[in-house]
Amino acid sequence: MAVWFAGSREGGADVEIRAAKYSATDDAWGQEQVLATRSTTETAVNKHIRKLGNPIIALTPNNRLWLFYVSVSVGGWAGSAINAAYSDDLGESWSAPRQLVTTPFINISTLVRGTPVFHTDGGIGLPVYHEFLGKFAEYLYLDSEGYVIDKFRISRGKHSLQPSIVPLSPTRAVALLRYAGDGPQHVLASESNDGGRTWSRPRAVDPNNPNSSLAAVASPDHGLLVALNDLTDGRYRLSLYGTNSRMTLWQPLIQLDQSPDPEGNPFTPEVYREIIGDKFMRSSGSQRGGLLEQYLGHLDQRVCSDSGCEFEYEYPYFIRSQDGLYHLVYSWNNSFVKHVSFNEAWLKEQLQ
Amino acid sequence: MNETWQMYVTFALLAFAIAPGRKAARPAQLALLVGFCALAFLPISSLSLAAWLRTYIEDLAITSVLLLGWVGLVRLRLVRPMSQVRRWQIFATFSALALFLYPATLGLTYFDPYRLGYAAGPLLAALALITLCLWLLGNTFGVALLVLATLAYAFSIKPSGNYWDYLLDPFLALYCWGALLSGLKQHWTTKGACTNLAIKTAP
Repeated sequence: MAVWFAGSREGGADVEIRAAKYSATDDAWGQEQVLATRSTTETAVNKHIRKLGNPIIALTPNNRLWLFYVSVSVGGWAGSAINAAYSDDLGESWSAPRQLVTTPFINISTLVRGTPVFHTDGGIGLPVYHEFLGKFAEYLYLDSEGYVIDKFRISRGKHSLQPSIVPLSPTRAVALLRYAGDGPQHVLASESNDGGRTWSRPRAVDPNNPNSSLAAVASPDHGLLVALNDLTDGRYRLSLYGTNSRMTLWQPLIQLDQSPDPEGNPFTPEVYREIIGDKFMRSSGSQRGGLLEQYLGHLDQRVCSDSGCEFEYEYPYFIRSQDGLYHLVYSWNNSFVKHVSFNEAWLKEQLQ
Repeated sequence: MNETWQMYVTFALLAFAIAPGRKAARPAQLALLVGFCALAFLPISSLSLAAWLRTYIEDLAITSVLLLGWVGLVRLRLVRPMSQVRRWQIFATFSALALFLYPATLGLTYFDPYRLGYAAGPLLAALALITLCLWLLGNTFGVALLVLATLAYAFSIKPSGNYWDYLLDPFLALYCWGALLSGLKQHWTTKGACTNLAIKTAP
């Protein structure tokens, strides 16, 4: 199952939290369904809701599906609070969402983006970040019922957010952070050796990070696989890297998607339509070919501005499923969610 | 426990605390309070008025609700207003707690004092010490505030499992800091005026 937010624009009043299920046997995604709207959230949490965003979904080892997403009652994204809902029938029905209390400052400014970690005691580790006066990453610890029972600071200050946490052993974990500061822009990394209770001060690692979100999972050789925009500016190329557990060696594995222009320069609308039409067909397959004209007819400010039309591949979300397959989803030109999967054999070839 | 009770209570008490007509007779004051209780449930665009207020102020700390309740009792003339010294002791207590909590929890340091509110043993011990100090100073109301907030935490009457959320909120912190600073300014102004007067009248 994949979740995303969709509407006329980011932060729009019509944005909903939507989901679709993937059938491995049919190798196809089912129909979209709406999991949460402003109205359903408002009724459940007894507060006015202005906008929704950043949904994530994860399956616990005992088959409870958790959905976390942010809602804003007042102001911009800095006014976000996290909502949690669960399903015990693999997404057929859902509990009413409940707001997590995460800060003493009118419970605002905690956002979620990264994949949760499930601890052996049934607890849920939720990578979150704060975005009000500062920008910093935290690790929320929830009990098995989704109540916050502790929180641990990964970074401080104004320069890091959206942690992606990868457990490498029962006690050791790595957090990779989006860098939002000035100067040389690199991915930040922090490590914990006590199950997420304390974290080392974040340090810059090799890949560039143009203030964009990234996602990581553990690789079979005890390292990490990381999907990121390894660029100094823009998000016109999304790459997959492999790295060792100390993050000292980085190996590019594949460029998942990229603009035809190596510098990511914008295209005129006419040229852009032609290129993106071709990319749409190659990404969607023939069964969605009938939707091409409709899609091209709705290219709008999400991809085109006065300076031209640009390609953007961003906000990856990465998991390894129980059958050993790797699944990566990401935002494809602010229009679709693209799903890429691969197996161990493919990965082994790339790593050689 | 039903988690919506607090927004209705907060709405009624806050409206009663700031509404004009303080000099009206007690029955009229009571009628006003009952009116605000009913108004809290009035639906506007699918949400009650109390829920609209909660949108902007969240669930206040239990101490804030108790303080609003106290203001209501004073207004109903069921209790006498607190002496200035007692008030200053309470303002100083919550100002100090706010200074300890907010700058660090908003990202100034790697240490997050809000965390102390989860496994709250050390924080409970610190608050017990503060409560003892207030008791030794004879500030019964201050003692009652902290004891009742702690009991509310023990019985989890709010959706939060963090002790801080029962003790303090930003509105209480701002009010206490504002009152403390304006009181200090007034004190020094008066003291300065007295000194000038003494200089002028000296032979």
